[in-house]
Amino acid sequence: MARQPARLHSARDTVLLLVCLTLSLTALLGPREWGDAVGAGLRRTVAVPLLWLQERAEESRTSQARFRALASARDSVAVLAQGVPMLHTENDRLRALLGLGRRMTARYVPAEVLHQALPTDGRTLLLSAGGNDGVLPLQPVVAPEGLVGVTRSVGPHAAVVMTWTHPEFRVSAFTQGGETFGIVAPSVPESAREPLLELRGVPYRDSVPDGTVVLSSGVGGVFPKGIPIGTVIGVAREATGWERVYQVRPTVNPGTVSHVLVLTQSSTWPADSVPDDADR
Amino acid sequence: MAGGLCAGRRGPVTVERANRIRAAAVLALLVALHFAVRPRLGSPRLTPDFLMLALILVAIRSRPGAAAVAGFLVGLLGDAMTPARFGAAALAHTLVAYVAAWGRAVFFADNLLVNAGLIGVGVWLRDLLVLVVSGTGGRGLLLELGVWSPLLALSTALAGVVVLAIFRNWLDIRLEE
Repeated sequence: MARQPARLHSARDTVLLLVCLTLSLTALLGPREWGDAVGAGLRRTVAVPLLWLQERAEESRTSQARFRALASARDSVAVLAQGVPMLHTENDRLRALLGLGRRMTARYVPAEVLHQALPTDGRTLLLSAGGNDGVLPLQPVVAPEGLVGVTRSVGPHAAVVMTWTHPEFRVSAFTQGGETFGIVAPSVPESAREPLLELRGVPYRDSVPDGTVVLSSGVGGVFPKGIPIGTVIGVAREATGWERVYQVRPTVNPGTVSHVLVLTQSSTWPADSVPDDADR
Repeated sequence: MAGGLCAGRRGPVTVERANRIRAAAVLALLVALHFAVRPRLGSPRLTPDFLMLALILVAIRSRPGAAAVAGFLVGLLGDAMTPARFGAAALAHTLVAYVAAWGRAVFFADNLLVNAGLIGVGVWLRDLLVLVVSGTGGRGLLLELGVWSPLLALSTALAGVVVLAIFRNWLDIRLEE
């Protein structure tokens, strides 16, 4: 089939390409605030009906499985709840005897994860809940298994989460039992099989056995104490006489998580495994 | 072809307008599939990227400059929803759409399988650009480009074959019989 020679290329095509490339590079190399502002503007306007469609689809896909899980969880909770009043009474008496205040409880907003097709989906996640639901920037996001990330920018109906796979993600952590403290960050270089985390800044004299659970320490004020982050699987590297860096297998895979909780107010994650003496 | 349906006193203009409306309907259908059906199909890493498919179909039937603009807009939307590195998707989609339009014009790809290949390569190239520009390196990059991106490209190309087979007249894309 014959083609029009003019179709191949023209000055107008080149100009349009250069304009688009310039705008793309400006977005790429400009300050992050610019990108956040443009992204938030798009999510508040043209993307609203698209996100609404996707949110309905996600709800529909997960509703049946969630109903079964909820029914199962409700039965388990009903059994456990029988002993709760007695435990409350006992706890209140013990706290009164020790002079402790009431334990803080976590408040949360449930949200669907709206996965996208880009390969960088997982470093950031788009949530179906936003400012209208009480979500604010810099709030921890968790799944039932543990830590997912932290909210980065929030619109009225949607929020963007920076997950633990993002290169800029950091969380202060300690090992179960409270013996070792450090900073957890994404593993560099990335693992071939799965993305991993690293527990950094562990003094050389401290040894952390494989299988040890790593929890958020609460230091820094963003993440509450006691959120499960992952499990130690070995030593990644060590600076002789100075520090060890441990590899940590995360408890949550952001690429597959479909439903999360945004902790809107919390001081301690309600986990039984959190030692009370961990706040050093 | 649609021309016979609209032949009249203002034939060519009406036919062109009807073709545009039909093409827009198909593209709207693909956008709706991307947001309303794709989440129900399973893993987001394997299910067809209908938005990218729509973009390449636009590129195939457009001039390279218009395709670049369409790619930039689709990429900007992708950046808004996955802002791991804002601007990466806009850059990648702009380049892929431009190359797709230019390649289609140069290589006379009027074959269904060649078009499917163009769609698959477009998806893979988009992923390559997004990952590299986002700073993904080493083994993670190899895993993405060696496993996940080819699977996504394959599923998108298969969806493209179905869409082209059903709607090629509406999209005004000529294919060899």
